[in-house]
Amino acid sequence: MTVLRLLWKHRALIAVLVRRELDARYRASFLGFFWSLLNPLLLLAVYAVVFTYIFSPRFPGADPYPLFLFSGLLPWLLFSGAVLDGSVTLVDNGPLLAKVMCPPEIFPAVTVLSHLIHHLLALPILLVATVVSAAADLHPFPWTFWMVPLALIPWILTTGGAVFAISVLSVHYRDMRDLVGHLLNLLFFASPIIYSLDGLQVPAVLHRLLALNPLNSLVAVYRDIVFTGRVPSPMTWLTAFAVGVASWWLGTKVFMHYRETVVEAV
Amino acid sequence: MKGSIRFDAVRKIYRWRGRRNRHETLKGAFFRRRLTGHRSAAEEHVALDGINLVVDPGEAVALIGPNGSGKSTFLKLAGGILQPTEGTVEVEGRVTALIELGAGFHPEITGRENVVINGMLLGLDRREIESKMPEIIEFADIGTFIDEPVKIYSSGMYVRLGFAVAVAADPDVLLIDEVLAVGDEAFTRRCLDRLARMRQRGVTMVLVSHDLDLVTSFADRALYLNRGRVAAEGPTDSVVARYRSDVAGDEAGGDLKASEAHTAAEGRRWGNSDVEIVTVELIAGANPQRLIASGSPCRLRISYKVQRPVEDFVFGVAWHRADGAQVSGHNTELAGLVPRRLASDGEVSCVYDSLQLAPGDYFVDVAVHARDGLAYDYWCDALRVKVTSAVEWPGVWAPPHRWESSGPIWDE
Repeated sequence: MTVLRLLWKHRALIAVLVRRELDARYRASFLGFFWSLLNPLLLLAVYAVVFTYIFSPRFPGADPYPLFLFSGLLPWLLFSGAVLDGSVTLVDNGPLLAKVMCPPEIFPAVTVLSHLIHHLLALPILLVATVVSAAADLHPFPWTFWMVPLALIPWILTTGGAVFAISVLSVHYRDMRDLVGHLLNLLFFASPIIYSLDGLQVPAVLHRLLALNPLNSLVAVYRDIVFTGRVPSPMTWLTAFAVGVASWWLGTKVFMHYRETVVEAV
Repeated sequence: MKGSIRFDAVRKIYRWRGRRNRHETLKGAFFRRRLTGHRSAAEEHVALDGINLVVDPGEAVALIGPNGSGKSTFLKLAGGILQPTEGTVEVEGRVTALIELGAGFHPEITGRENVVINGMLLGLDRREIESKMPEIIEFADIGTFIDEPVKIYSSGMYVRLGFAVAVAADPDVLLIDEVLAVGDEAFTRRCLDRLARMRQRGVTMVLVSHDLDLVTSFADRALYLNRGRVAAEGPTDSVVARYRSDVAGDEAGGDLKASEAHTAAEGRRWGNSDVEIVTVELIAGANPQRLIASGSPCRLRISYKVQRPVEDFVFGVAWHRADGAQVSGHNTELAGLVPRRLASDGEVSCVYDSLQLAPGDYFVDVAVHARDGLAYDYWCDALRVKVTSAVEWPGVWAPPHRWESSGPIWDE
């Protein structure tokens, strides 16, 4: 809660810094902001080609597969992109922290928010893709699509918590930055993004292990809404929100624990 | 009170400065903690120890000392960038730290956007920044470059913009870490002039510098830090003298040439002491100044003590430059004041509506004497003053003036 209060106090500054982040990323590139649309579009194109003509995985309820994959990949990119940037955000902004007075909590927030904006810019691509496949009779249109903002809440909370924790930890323990990439890789394959847990042909032990991944419920909520077209079960909602709140609570607690020494370590 | 700084038994310890590198590894965190339960003392560095200091609003204090003595740590604590390990730091009012000019400018975005971000970090809101933007651009002297990405700036433009945005925030307390050394001469002159004007407005300043001439012309009071402790504190001249003698002592095995040289340079003084001058101060704004912007209103305040009442007395001041050139002399007799009696302690001020001196160093002789010249107290070089101005000009007189013309065509 203290973190939320601090963030609210600095909202104007956070807004300006998010703008800077987006501006700086696209400055001097010819297509500018269109990259936010183009990136997911190209990604979708690549996956569509690869998984239609090279591999064609079969999972129950996962047709058309490129769309199934995309609906899992989008929120994952929000999470993993923010966490990856989060591991360097305090170091990158070291001069502001150490030479100008600057509250450290704004930088993880800026990281999460700018990735959220990229995500929101990519959503129209997903929407268009579902409309196109519905028109081509490949897949019924998911009328639950409008619930996306609700599905995003647990993702934002989880991502926020992770980014807050990772940002201070990677300042104090420099190994974190190398570690984070590998952990994300592991988590990617341990999450039901390129597969669905239902149709997975693996040993029972591994299946039980995979079922413990806290991200499962978040992936399920998002995919139910934008792909399958059904309202997630109350249990799924509850689990997803519980994971989000737990992550936020733990992440901000870790952050506050290390906050005072950030400037010295950065 | 706004603009005051108070350090109370402040101690600052840096941890995690291990021999191998300053960042702990995960492995280290796990194993050491498991083995010893706590970090060893070898990983601690005491940067400041037992610092007590009160700076009143409007005061200018200098921090001097060798590298690693804790000066920058002091500034960062005062700026709220670091937290003390023990003790308390209280600073009232808006604080701006000039630690590295242009620190945190993002290279990819324009100067204008960087100014907005830095301004907000310094506590301004967007509207205030927009309203100060012309002034900032003018001071930074970067013209249309303000709308170019900062990465194409020359280093001079960079530091000028950094300084301009920092001082535009109208701080109550300004913390300055050696930043005047980074620019060219013209930049330093403009900065110094700006600082002098802020001083006259009553901004509290703490200056860290190795430039002892700057320190003596800038600060009323100095704090000499050595290995995190206060080695000396007091009037700037005596603390600087002490520091100089320590440095000379370190270098030449304890000879005190530097401090002797300093005492020799101190003013000669004579008289029968019937009336004694106690202090001579140049007051601008509310506080005594050693640095004054050319053209500022100010007063030279002489306070005196009467040992034996006299009926024949003249107060006089004489300004001259460091090279000995006479600038001006005036006294109460020339001003038509006829003395009657001087029996009790008091003050006499010579008031200048505008100090029309060209930038440079000036010395002031102050005297109280009888009309026939018998000196009660004649104090040469009683005061040293540095006059600043945004532009350099030769000579000693800086009259307010303008040019009028018909014919020539000027670029604005």
